[in-house]
Amino acid sequence: MSPRPKVEHLRKPQIIAAAADVLYERGLFDTRIGDIAERAGTSSPTILYYFESKDRLLEEAVDLTDREFYERMTEGQAQRRGAVEKLVHLIEETSLGPGGLSDWTLWMEMWVRARRDPAVRDSYFRLDRRQRELIANIVREGQASGDFDSGADPDDFALVLSGLMDGLGVQVTLGQPDVTAERMVDRCLALASLELGCELEPSDSALRRGARR
Amino acid sequence: MSARERILAAAVSQIAAEGIDGVRIARIATEARVSPALVHYHFATRDALLAEALDYSYVHAGEARITSGDTLPRTSHAARLQSMIEACLPTSEPLRQDWVLWVELWLRAVRNPELRPVAEELYARLHAWFAREIAEGVKDGEFARCDPDEVADLALALIDGYGVRTLIGDPAMPLERGRRAVSGAVARELGLDGEQLVDRAA
Repeated sequence: MSPRPKVEHLRKPQIIAAAADVLYERGLFDTRIGDIAERAGTSSPTILYYFESKDRLLEEAVDLTDREFYERMTEGQAQRRGAVEKLVHLIEETSLGPGGLSDWTLWMEMWVRARRDPAVRDSYFRLDRRQRELIANIVREGQASGDFDSGADPDDFALVLSGLMDGLGVQVTLGQPDVTAERMVDRCLALASLELGCELEPSDSALRRGARR
Repeated sequence: MSARERILAAAVSQIAAEGIDGVRIARIATEARVSPALVHYHFATRDALLAEALDYSYVHAGEARITSGDTLPRTSHAARLQSMIEACLPTSEPLRQDWVLWVELWLRAVRNPELRPVAEELYARLHAWFAREIAEGVKDGEFARCDPDEVADLALALIDGYGVRTLIGDPAMPLERGRRAVSGAVARELGLDGEQLVDRAA
């Protein structure tokens, strides 16, 4: 079957979405290009025409998952008033949100590949920086409005919080005893409250979501 | 060194260099100076090899960590805790190798639930080590009253999150500053003032 560049705008997203599903289920090592082709309803040569390797597909898949996550995040953030609500929302969305980055599997794939593949490494840096930027900006907003203590360094706080979410996210994903997504939210809110000198409470919607689990 | 130990040492360096998926039994055999059949005999599956290599690496990379009692500073619990955090971060080559295996384990354990007890066991060991030190610091009045298990969990999660970043090494992220930030967050949980657990200049 010959590749058809003319339908690139249609086919590429379809392949990436299929790749995200298959990679998530099986892992990069155990995924064959043929598996993704089957899921996407296309052929292996077509996939290889668009993407030179599985690593590139992983990058695109993470990018897609991440974009969806951030669209949801940005939409949610826009509905929140003030830095306190925004920070609570960010922590809850990251810890409890449906699919996406609340599951750390694709991040782990990236961490493993990043050491050997500069392109994967660069996308990881980009995503990590954006996440920390988002947190730091909320802190700056809260400090300007007087909601947060002005003593905390926004960039240091962003590093600590994103590190904590990654560390706990791994444990939640691995099903460590006693580490649930709800506990992750509590732990992150407690740390943020202490570091920023404020009282952060779980939102009502998170409580409702938590109760359903 | 026994043949089994040589195989494990070779497995650690091979997994750290190539990843568990890229490991070739033949290369481990060559490096360990044994036959491939012997490697297969000792480790029937990749998972078994990874689990055993991790255990071996954990003990060896953290030699100071395990026999910690004598090598940790005696000045204060805070100083000991600081050293323990350092001993868990990928700051030396053996620790870097240990970290690579650790991250490989996470990923593999997601899809192979039989590997999860290995992760659980390693977490539990580190957790007990940290919780004990924190509890003693509280008992001696050096740390504020807190739940040592909670703070130990927090410290380990921060170490993991920050360790991954150190391992991959974003040039735009100042590592030293990150290390201080982690130390500071743990210090404040323990009711200590200051930028980090121990002022390095002191």
